[in-house]
This record gives sequence, structure tokens and C-alpha cells, in this order.
Amino acid sequence: MRIEHDVARGAAFEILVNGTPCRAYAGETVAAAMLAGGLAGARRDTAGRPRGPFCNMGTCCECMVTIGDGDNRRRMRGCLIDAAPGMMVTDG
Amino acid sequence: MAEAADYDLAIVGGGPAGQAAAEQAASAGLTVIMIDEQARMGGQILRQPPVPFRVTNWLPGGIYRRLKRQLAQTEARRDVTWRGRTSVAGLFPEEDGFTLLIAGTAGGGGRVRARRVLIAAGCYDLPVALPGWTLPGAMSAGGVQAFVKSQRVVPGDRFVFAGTHPLQLLVAAQVAAAGGTVAAVLFAQAQAAMIARLLRAPLIAVRNAPALLGAASAYLALRRAGVPIRFGRTVRRIEGETVVTGVAPAPVVDMICGPADGATIACDRVALCFAFVPQADLPRAAGAAMRAGAHGGWATQADAWMRSTVPGLYVAGETTGVAGAEIALLEGRLAGLAIAVDAGRVAAGAVSGDVRGIRRRLARLGRFAALLDDIASPAGLIDQLPDAETILCRCEDVRFGAVAAALDAAAAPRGVSGIKLITRAGMGLCQGRTCEHAVRRLSAARGGQVSAAGFTPRFPVRPVAIGDLIR
Repeated sequence: MRIEHDVARGAAFEILVNGTPCRAYAGETVAAAMLAGGLAGARRDTAGRPRGPFCNMGTCCECMVTIGDGDNRRRMRGCLIDAAPGMMVTDG
Repeated sequence: MAEAADYDLAIVGGGPAGQAAAEQAASAGLTVIMIDEQARMGGQILRQPPVPFRVTNWLPGGIYRRLKRQLAQTEARRDVTWRGRTSVAGLFPEEDGFTLLIAGTAGGGGRVRARRVLIAAGCYDLPVALPGWTLPGAMSAGGVQAFVKSQRVVPGDRFVFAGTHPLQLLVAAQVAAAGGTVAAVLFAQAQAAMIARLLRAPLIAVRNAPALLGAASAYLALRRAGVPIRFGRTVRRIEGETVVTGVAPAPVVDMICGPADGATIACDRVALCFAFVPQADLPRAAGAAMRAGAHGGWATQADAWMRSTVPGLYVAGETTGVAGAEIALLEGRLAGLAIAVDAGRVAAGAVSGDVRGIRRRLARLGRFAALLDDIASPAGLIDQLPDAETILCRCEDVRFGAVAAALDAAAAPRGVSGIKLITRAGMGLCQGRTCEHAVRRLSAARGGQVSAAGFTPRFPVRPVAIGDLIR
């Protein structure tokens, strides 16, 4: 849930999380946009079970997501990366 | 160092300690770079909203006032180079300075050479393993707070807070004020025991009234909002299939946790708040002398001028032991003065008055930090919480039972690095920051040789792509 009463955000855009559109705003981290969209999971563990952001400060690495597609795919900590229009995020 | 240093001083960490040190060092004419993983300066205590956001009345409380003033001063300096969104993956002492291998959080690598280095990297929430804690929706209270402070997102609908640290009152109140639902706040310790510990040191309590009033007013705000605050209870189990759906609470008496009592509290988020441990990877990697923290983790040893045992390497703030932002600010100022003196830019005699005043205030605040640490201690409780199936090492999915079995085996290794080799606990991306403390205590409980050393520090201390480092 985004706090609205004391915040002015820029224009909204969409990122794609596992192919599904998820709303985001300039400056928002991927982790924040996903949580605001009701998505608590990020990476998958060795058994394929979902894991989600835990520390939200770059320390635990539980919010790892794969960003980009094709040869530009890269695993990053979702809590440290800004969402960008059209960004492709997968939970791998 | 073969090449000339890029900077007289590299500061790792943009929180109050780093800011205060940067100001002192830059004022003395030193060239300063400040490196932090966050986009903006502030540290966790002042995790700023993203630049594109306009937030009115951000963090209004009195406890933030002095810290915000320091932040504004340091951010305004043109002679401090800010390098945000950047991880320091390695710190290498050299003949006449240090090389820091850096990597952008979104990619890209490089190196920075500096004559002196200050580690002011702060602390993180002690990760406490309990059944179900790997489910999405289970978070550290500090993580929840950072979403509220900075991203202005309440990262869920219905929260249960559980732990031993009074900070959870402040975070729960911030969540409730922002429109989230707090289903319960659970303290493992008895309320009477907390109050009794405060009353044993009434002068310290009174002199630090503002900090206590912050917790007290959060407590009252939560009560007014009808939030149940329970003492002598904790979370025995976090429930859910693919996301948190509830918690099973259990009674705690004298820090002994009983079985879950059958009640379930429905929630989609759990915020755990037991203790905090210093970020210690870089000083450990550089070979600085450490001491074991009270609740796990490692605090870097510092002399009266915030010098570590590695020449040219300074430490300030929570890196030297978790004691709060006010102490961090003062230690950073002290470190900045020390660096200016050691660099020959300022005479020691010229700062002796400042230094005396800082040390006096540090001594007073230190007594309160120790009192808070005592009141908030999770000692004795946390090792009862995991069961054999609970994952201890979240990165490598190593369960409590597997670590215990390795320790109990006839050919059990001495020391926790051996346990790491056998079980893979601590081999993942987080480099043991999550599980090392638990593995050390488990080993200690079995008489293992753990007190002297933890996992051997490994490069890189933050996840980086190999391609970024060799480019």
C-alpha cells in the first residue's frame, strides 16, 4: 500500500514482473513496487520456493531478481534497483 | 601503493558517522569520497525518499532533528564526493593506503585508491531463525521501517511485530500511522522486567528521556489505536504456503519459550525485531581486530581516536558496536578529527577541547546504550526458536538439523569454517551475515572452538558480477 497523503510522486509507469504488469513510480525500487502491488516474493530457493525481501538494505540478498531479458539479463538486489518503464523482472 | 591515491579519505557508509567524519575531514582540507549502496546520503536512520518524490513533513520527530541538520550540512558540501548506488566489494590494505574494489548496484565496476579509509557501515537487524521465517512476508522490522521512511510504502496489509527490542514500538506506530494494520506487537520479555531494569538506573533513564519518550509515545499511540501489545509472548511459528498467512504465538517465561498455545494471529506480514549487529565484512577482510558482539556479529576494535588495529583504517558508529545514531554521529566527528590530525592537517592540541567534549558525551550516551541493550537483549531466547527443519542459512537452504548433525558427528571439525565446508552454511551471497551468529552459538553450545573466529572472511563482501571486476 502506497502512502498517499503526504507524498507527491511523478508519473506512474509499468514494469513487467514474470510478464504481468505492475505499477511503479520514478524513484521506486523494484522491491517497493512489487510489494505495493501485492507481490511479496522475489527470488526462488533451491527447491523452487519463493523468497521475498527481508532486510531491505542490501545485506541479506533475499530480494534477488533477474532484470532484463536476452543477453542483458542480470541478477540484482531488488531493494537497491530503481524501477524503470517497461523493465522486465523475473523471480529467478 | 604504486599509483597516487585518488582521495585522502574514502568513507564507506553515508549515515551519521560518515557524514560527521566527512565534514571534519573536508574542513581540514582533505579530499573525501563517500561510498554507499543507497541512492542518497542518510544511512538507515535517515533513509531518504527518492529524489523524484516530494514528501511533506518527512520524519517529524524530535529524535531526528539533530541528525537531519548534520545530513543537510554534509549534503551541501561540494568538497565531499558522493558515490551512491555503489557497493564496496573488497578492501585491500597496501603500503601507503588502500584499494577499494567497487561495483555499481546495477552493474559496472571500478577501484578507488585512498590514503585512509573510514568504515562507517552501520548495522543490520539480527536475523533470527524460526519456523516459517523464509516465507515471503517475513521481514526484519528495520526493513519494514525503511519501506515506510524512504519508499513511502507500507509493505503489506496486516502486520505482527515480534521480538525483544523496543524499536518495534516505533516501527509499529509508523506502520499504523501510515494506514497499515498492526494485528499485534509481541515482546518476549515481561513488561515488569523491562521496567525494573530501567528503574535500576533511574539517572541514566532520566538523562535520556527523549529517547525513552519516543518509545513511550509510540506505545501510547498504538494502545490508543487499539493495537494489542503483549509481553511474555513471541512467535513460535510463521504459517503460510507461499506467503505469510499468520503466526502461532507462544508464551515466554524468563526467556524460556513454551509450545504454541493454539491461538493463531492472522496476518500477511511479520516484522522481527530482536537485536542489531554491526556490518563487519570490510574490517574483517582487511584484518582489523574484532570483538564478538553481544548478540552475534562482530564489532571492530577502536582506540580512543577511532583507529582500528590496521594502520590508516578508522571505524565509527555501529561498526564499533551497536549504540544508536547519536553515538554514531559523535564517533564520526571524532574519527574525522583524528584523520585530520593523523594527516598532519590539524595539530592535536587544536582539537583537544572538541575531543574532550565529544568523549564526555559519548560516555554519557554509552551508559544509556548499554541500558537499552540490557533491556532489549534476546539472549537465551533465540536459540530455542528454530526446530530441526528450520532453515538457518537462507542462501544455501541449510537447515538447523544439518548444522547440528555436522557438529555432533564423530569427526566434527573444530571451528565454524569447517562447518561451512561440510554443510555449505555461510557459502551463499550474503557471506554468512544471516547465519554465522547462529552457527557460532550452536557450535559454542557444544564446546566447539568458536569464540576466537567465525567464518573466514571472503571476497567479495557484496554480490558483484565477475565481469564487472575484471573489466
